[in-house]
Amino acid sequence: MLASDDARKIQLVASLAGESDNAIEPLLKAWREDALYLYEPTEGARVPVLLVGEKDDNDGRAAVRVDTGASLVDADGKSLRLVAADLDAVEHTSALRRAMKGVLDLLDVASPDRKKRLQAIQTIGFSQDAEKLPALQKRLDMENDAAVKRSLREAIAVTRLKDPAANVKLSALKELQELHSLSSYDLIRNAMRDAETVGDKQTAAAAKLALSAIDKHKSTINFFGTLFRGLSLGSILLIVAIGLAITFGLMGVINMAHGEMIAVGAYTTYLVENVFGAGITIPFFGFSLSIPGIHASGVFYQSYFLFALPLSFLAAALVGIGLERSIIRFLYRRPLESLLATWGVSLLLQQGLKLMFGSNNVQVSSPSYLSGNWTVNDIIFGWNRVFVIGFAGLIVFGVWLILTKTPLGLLIRSVMQNRNMASCMGVRTERVNMLTFGLGSGLAGLAGAFISQIGNVGPSLGQNYIVDCFMTVVVGGVGNLAGTIYSAIGIGLVDQSLQQILLNPVLGKILVLVAIILFLQWRPSGLFVTRSRNLDD
Amino acid sequence: MSSLSKRHKIELIAVGVIAVFFIVIFPLLNAHGAVSNFTINLWGKYLCYALLAISVDLLWGYTGLLSLGQALFFSLGGYMMGMYLMRMIGDLGQYKKPIPDFLVFLGWTDLPKFWVPFSSFPFASAMVLLVPGLLALVFGFLAFRSRVKGVYFSILTQALTYGASLMFFRNDMLMGGNNGFTDFKFILGYDLRDASTQRGLFIATALVLLVVYVALRLLSHTKFGLVQRAIRDGENRVLFSGYATAHFKLFIFIVAALIAAVAGALYVPQVGIINPSEMTPDKSLEAVVWCAVGGRATLVGPIIGAIGVNSLKSWASRAAPDYWLVILGGLFVIVVLLLPGGIVSIPARLKALWQRFKKKPAEPEPTSSGDSSASIPPASESKPSA
Amino acid sequence: MLKVNQLVTVGALALGSMVASAKAADTVKVGVLHSLSGTMAISETSLRDVLLFTFDEINAKGGVLGKKIEPVVVDGASNWPLFAEKAKQLLEEDKVAVTFGCWTSVSRKSVLPVYEKNNGLLFYPVQYEGQEESQNVFYTAEAVNQQATPAIDYLLEQGYTKFYLIGTDYVYPQTTNLVLLEYLLSKKVPIENIGGGFKKDDSGKIISAGKYTPFGHTDYQQIISEIKQFAAGGKTAIVSTLNGDTNVPFFKEYAAAGLTAEIAPVVSFSISEDEFRGLPAKQLVGQLGCWTYFQSIKSDANKEFVKNFKKWLKETKVPGIVKEGRVTCSPMVLSYNGVYLWKAAVEKAGTFDVDAVRAALKSGLSFDGPGGKVTTQSNMHLTKNVFIGETKADGQFKILKEFKDVYGEPWLLGKFKAQ
Repeated sequence: MLASDDARKIQLVASLAGESDNAIEPLLKAWREDALYLYEPTEGARVPVLLVGEKDDNDGRAAVRVDTGASLVDADGKSLRLVAADLDAVEHTSALRRAMKGVLDLLDVASPDRKKRLQAIQTIGFSQDAEKLPALQKRLDMENDAAVKRSLREAIAVTRLKDPAANVKLSALKELQELHSLSSYDLIRNAMRDAETVGDKQTAAAAKLALSAIDKHKSTINFFGTLFRGLSLGSILLIVAIGLAITFGLMGVINMAHGEMIAVGAYTTYLVENVFGAGITIPFFGFSLSIPGIHASGVFYQSYFLFALPLSFLAAALVGIGLERSIIRFLYRRPLESLLATWGVSLLLQQGLKLMFGSNNVQVSSPSYLSGNWTVNDIIFGWNRVFVIGFAGLIVFGVWLILTKTPLGLLIRSVMQNRNMASCMGVRTERVNMLTFGLGSGLAGLAGAFISQIGNVGPSLGQNYIVDCFMTVVVGGVGNLAGTIYSAIGIGLVDQSLQQILLNPVLGKILVLVAIILFLQWRPSGLFVTRSRNLDD
Repeated sequence: MSSLSKRHKIELIAVGVIAVFFIVIFPLLNAHGAVSNFTINLWGKYLCYALLAISVDLLWGYTGLLSLGQALFFSLGGYMMGMYLMRMIGDLGQYKKPIPDFLVFLGWTDLPKFWVPFSSFPFASAMVLLVPGLLALVFGFLAFRSRVKGVYFSILTQALTYGASLMFFRNDMLMGGNNGFTDFKFILGYDLRDASTQRGLFIATALVLLVVYVALRLLSHTKFGLVQRAIRDGENRVLFSGYATAHFKLFIFIVAALIAAVAGALYVPQVGIINPSEMTPDKSLEAVVWCAVGGRATLVGPIIGAIGVNSLKSWASRAAPDYWLVILGGLFVIVVLLLPGGIVSIPARLKALWQRFKKKPAEPEPTSSGDSSASIPPASESKPSA
Repeated sequence: MLKVNQLVTVGALALGSMVASAKAADTVKVGVLHSLSGTMAISETSLRDVLLFTFDEINAKGGVLGKKIEPVVVDGASNWPLFAEKAKQLLEEDKVAVTFGCWTSVSRKSVLPVYEKNNGLLFYPVQYEGQEESQNVFYTAEAVNQQATPAIDYLLEQGYTKFYLIGTDYVYPQTTNLVLLEYLLSKKVPIENIGGGFKKDDSGKIISAGKYTPFGHTDYQQIISEIKQFAAGGKTAIVSTLNGDTNVPFFKEYAAAGLTAEIAPVVSFSISEDEFRGLPAKQLVGQLGCWTYFQSIKSDANKEFVKNFKKWLKETKVPGIVKEGRVTCSPMVLSYNGVYLWKAAVEKAGTFDVDAVRAALKSGLSFDGPGGKVTTQSNMHLTKNVFIGETKADGQFKILKEFKDVYGEPWLLGKFKAQ
């Protein structure tokens, strides 16, 4: 199997299809995932090995020979510990991987894992290989999972489209029409064309019916998909803008460095991920700061994101408090000038991040619980998106709690409503300002942690979001958190609907901006107006 | 009053001397090789930026409207001039076709209708004023009618600019997409690559700057100028005194747009490229910063700021490519915090310092940080937050 | 008041800028014109690094015609008028013998008139759309037929029948996709199997093919769901000309929707090893790339190059150079090749004079670079080897196929006719 010739390898792998050896599956899997290694006990003699068991202190793991199944032992008979990084993974190519997948698929049709069965059945169906029909039929008889059954019916029907007999074709088309199966769209169309060329009107008509049923299904999917996507985009807008709704909306500071607070949060997530992994070295103005990693793996490593969340909040909050203490506190009475100063700060922070982490984007890998999806009736619900929506809700709830149910919240509201009066009543407004700004910045940092899961992390990350943030807050009405929520969700939904209708993301974005401009003509102070008796407000 | 008129005399002389230097001496030096073509070209660019900064100042410093849309008007003016220059390339482009290269690339064989009249310089010049002017009229009318002000006005103009830049980025707009217009060859029959043509453009820019400066100086002394500043300091009081503030603001907004557009039209033949990244909100913000660094609510301030910051940029992006953003960012923070009046307030502050030093044990100065801005209270000061 | 002094100094410097720098007779000035700040710094900084490395390497061996190379590094700051200004400065003030620089098409277009006016010479190292052939630019870059069409050849050979075209909305993706559309049609791929949408003019002629998103786009949900529906029919490949930054949200969304390289592989023309440093490599295993160089090329010349570059990175004292986790990639190697080709041309011509150097370049010089032999062509382009690779979890490419000595052809639009 380690033959050097690619074509031969593919043949060999394909021939495994009939075998019923339990070892095949883990082996091929490991190979595909670069976990099958070559071990050279002596020069030239290469043994394929799998690494099993827990890592020891030196990262070593016990090795098992693939060909014999025996554990590797050293001269003393003790089991040998090998380190993955020292070994060469056995190579493979995409053609080879497809061959492996073909084998695995047939095995997987009978797999106890439902998801695997589904995937395997679909792949087999596409091949429209009549030889595989009996296997599918057999499975259909014993299958009792509804979704898998559906998929089996689909695969069988698709395969039957190739059947020479007209009545088999017709019944297959009817079946597909009932299933409104998206994946067979092209195959049905091909069948329709074939029927048209040979003048088989009945089949052509049936195919047309099936196609229109699928088209109808598609528009349903797109409708609900758009709703979901709009909601998730709205949640992202909400998460990035809620911090600004506090610093800008409540405090009146036009914080152009808000985007960089998001970047600070994202970079913190990156740091935490690296600490959980192999560690990281950061050049810091001539010095070099090395942070050792704890080399976590598995579930613990995946949980880095949960640790990163509070740390991102803290990091951005600290930067925010530093900014407030050093610059912004002098500018509370000159809001438009805070715009200029914070713009300068944003340039400084960007360049600082660039000097520390390089101008390239950095790599943040999503934990597995954030990179899958649920597909319900062909509508995709990405886990990261569902998570973002849920989290947006949590953040809003948390902010609401802080502002309305805590003593700090009371102080914040009093200072924001009338700074001088609060000061007269003995509120330490300086401190409250600092904490409020820290809260707003911290929320931006939290947003950064999420952005790192759906977008890129680079020094100019914040620039992509800052305009959107201000739009969201202003449309909602400055000084009103509820307004920000409505406007974020509203903009998200409008944006996604326009994208879906126009099928052109740029045009969609332009129309959203036009809509915002027109909206502000109609309501110059946003969705929710904070009432005041002051004429100049 | 007499001291004021004395100050005016000094100003008049100073402006005259500087104007003569830029309009006559500098180009003469260039013609005789004492000043390089590169330098005069660079300064031509700075003067265009100075015009842009003045237009920002007219709105922000004098009327209290922080517009983030000036880069849009600047680029629109530039684009209109660019269309003329593109037509003047003739069939000397990469494709050797009589229509602009990017149109050939987009599969056009004939000129689109709206491009045709741009072969005429008078038409293009009219468009330089008309298109931005009309946009300013419509947008300003809507915005001021519904009494959008303060931060909302800034954000609204920002949205406008952002939307327009996205539009121009699209290739279907038939305005060159991301690449914009470049590779210009001729203007009014003169070869743009000749040093003398560039010198001519420089002189033209300096003249326009002088005219704008003098006109705005005169305007600020009329009743109109007073109303304008009154709007900045307390719009509602002006409104209740019976002035239609919206009309005043609209007029100023259009004038500022026109100044920016002319600056853009002069800018494009000198730098040789116009593309949508010139009209992003960031560029507007940059112009605001020049204004702040130089000193707003003065006419010299924006000029000094635009020239100062841009020469710093030219110098630093060469001398310290990795740190110049830090220098620039730091400068803004310092100016805003420690020098709210900008560079032009330095002499006054030095004088105040000197007097305090002379009086030695005298009582401490009552005003410390906000002194220079006290005479020109920012419009926004009256808005402590909701 | 220190600041005042600074400003005065700065003003004086800007005004003067004629202060003659002490120029020794035994050096030759060479311009480096890349964005070291702004949005493009992400890609271009690496090219500055590799150029400085190459100059040091050449200087250590005695320089060019006995003269040491003196680099003049300027920052274009991702600002196109500034690019033109800096180019003018390099040519008119510094009088550089040659410039290495530019990344985006628009930066090249903005400096082009400056180079033509002053008869300068610019080496341009990044894959581009073609449709240009200036006598003042030497394109070491990949032309469309040295990247996109070989990739399509490979995909067709692998049995892919459906192609989804997606890119960032600017001239390189637009042109590439139009060429690819013609190419695919000429290979008898039916037009309904080409996804992403078309735009037609009034006469019904297709003027734009594929789906386009703006720079810095962050939301790919809708497009991914469209791709998923398109790819449901099987045997689909996605041809991506998305610009560096937008690739991350695109691929994260792609993975989240359950798409993998086995279901529908993405072949990207803008992702090299360098861009890979910012991408989640583990989710991208098996995606395809097509370049004229990969770091994983197993030749002695390449091993030597990678080793020396890493050594240089450790030792260099130039500020702002990231030393950790560096890789080499095609644009870097094309910059490196460019310097050596220029050196060879200068040595052949015996002078730094641009006209003589150009004539030498056109005469067909060869250089054995890290990616194999490259040969200059009379149309100012470069013949080179093309490699198809697939990504591995460590961010490197595994080479799947090599096309030897592909001729660089800039004029491709309208060349492939559907039968």
